[in-house]
Amino acid sequence: MSNHEYTIGKDQSPHVCEYCGRPFSQQEWLDLHRGLEHPNELSEEHISAFQTAYEAEEGELGRFRLRALGVLILLYFCLLMIYALV
Amino acid sequence: MMRENQQRITQLTVSVLLLILAAGTVSAHGASLSSGSREPIRVPTWLFLSTGGAAVGASFLLASFVTDRQFIRQLHQWGFPIHAENSHVAVTAGRVLGLVGYVTVLVIGFIGPSTPQTNAAILLVWVGWWAGLAMTSYLVGNTWQTLNPLSTIALVLPSLNRRYPDSYGAWPSVIGLLALIWIEVISPLAADPQLLATAVVAYSVVTLFGVGIFGRDTWFDKADPVERVFRYYGRVAPIGKTGRKIKFRLFGMDLSVPRLVDDFDEVVFIIALLWGTTFDGFVTTPGWRTLTEPLVAGGFPPQVLYPVALLAGFGLFFGIYLIAVELSRRTAETYLQSRMVAVQFAPPLLAIAAGYHFAHYLGYFLELAPALWLALLSPFSDPGTVPVYQPPSWFGGVGIAAVVIGHLVAIWVAHAAAYDLFPSRIQAIRSQYPFIAVMVFYTMTSLWVITRPEVALPYI
Repeated sequence: MSNHEYTIGKDQSPHVCEYCGRPFSQQEWLDLHRGLEHPNELSEEHISAFQTAYEAEEGELGRFRLRALGVLILLYFCLLMIYALV
Repeated sequence: MMRENQQRITQLTVSVLLLILAAGTVSAHGASLSSGSREPIRVPTWLFLSTGGAAVGASFLLASFVTDRQFIRQLHQWGFPIHAENSHVAVTAGRVLGLVGYVTVLVIGFIGPSTPQTNAAILLVWVGWWAGLAMTSYLVGNTWQTLNPLSTIALVLPSLNRRYPDSYGAWPSVIGLLALIWIEVISPLAADPQLLATAVVAYSVVTLFGVGIFGRDTWFDKADPVERVFRYYGRVAPIGKTGRKIKFRLFGMDLSVPRLVDDFDEVVFIIALLWGTTFDGFVTTPGWRTLTEPLVAGGFPPQVLYPVALLAGFGLFFGIYLIAVELSRRTAETYLQSRMVAVQFAPPLLAIAAGYHFAHYLGYFLELAPALWLALLSPFSDPGTVPVYQPPSWFGGVGIAAVVIGHLVAIWVAHAAAYDLFPSRIQAIRSQYPFIAVMVFYTMTSLWVITRPEVALPYI
């Protein structure tokens, strides 16, 4: 993971991982990254930050799934109607 | 933990069921289309293409329901070793077989029967090797590395072992692949045995010359286009090498392994392979004729038409991929360089290329396999009639299913690759939006090509 290369604009202020130097555009992603890539080196504070970010993401994923399901149903019925008409 | 496991299993079951449903619907429509020419009612092309595209899009949504990192990793790592080490007997047998095939192609090519359908050289190269062996390389595993007769000959050749410049990378193989596709399309290599044998000699001279300068390992690893095609196809197959061990794993799972592709040049090669298989089919569609007729009538030299179209289409495919990479960097809000993103999401495209190759060549292979067998049994005699297998009418559906399955595998592998690259799962899903759009475009293009009637190449 550490041999990645990055492009950072001048006006951007990334959240940089202190273990491998990888920059992230959101603090939560850095928290998640620490937990996933450097699980053995974390302080208590980082661990709880990881947990919070992970749980927050669960909520967001839930909403995404609902929307995806909606799109799927819409797609299915559109095709069904088209096949019925053509 | 219990709850998590249960949730994971439910998620998976639902996804798999829906995925099967999606694939099943599409292949059913495909079958009805292919038999459509014989029946009065048929699905219009636009609807058939949109159904294919919709199936790909729907599969992405279904794949995105699987959000358990651990499960994805386990699925990709699943497998078992088959044999601890290379067996010398098998390697030697493979090399001998490759050499026998090579000598057969040269001898029968130059002095065998002149009818292409009865000439063992023509049948061995096109039916046995480019259709049959290539199919086994992504369905079973890559054997070309051992069979390759030039690689065997190179074992006994001296080499200057010059350092291969890093800046060359995979570029010689990209140029070689495009050149091979061009020659294959425009010249009667599948009709003229002597010309085919001459082309094989020419290719051998170039290859062995390269080996003489840079050494066998370097040349076949970096510059030889054919070796690279088979190696990349082999990554789709369930049997393959992991380190020194031969391992069995699930289809396409090796595509998400990092370091299959290191740099832009290799991404370009994958796109060239994908475009090459499409181009091969595209020039035999009536659409190509309609498209080019006004150009040639307007004074455009027909000889230039094919290379220009080959390069233009390649540029289009590559340009679209690059745009997708840039868009993906934006939707995923990542600081990763475009190069890193391009490299991560190119290998899944190989599953698409394999699916398309299968759709394009399975029928061809089955039809001509009896002829190949007969020609190999009596290579010098010229029987008047050639046995040809006629595939049943539902057979068109197999090709369509292959294209769709290739895309399904690609979507899954890209999903796993995104999880590997991004810490946030929602970020990983968002990074896929542009690539899914590209895949929908590729599917619709290939479905369109394989369902067109085949016509002879114009202006050649």
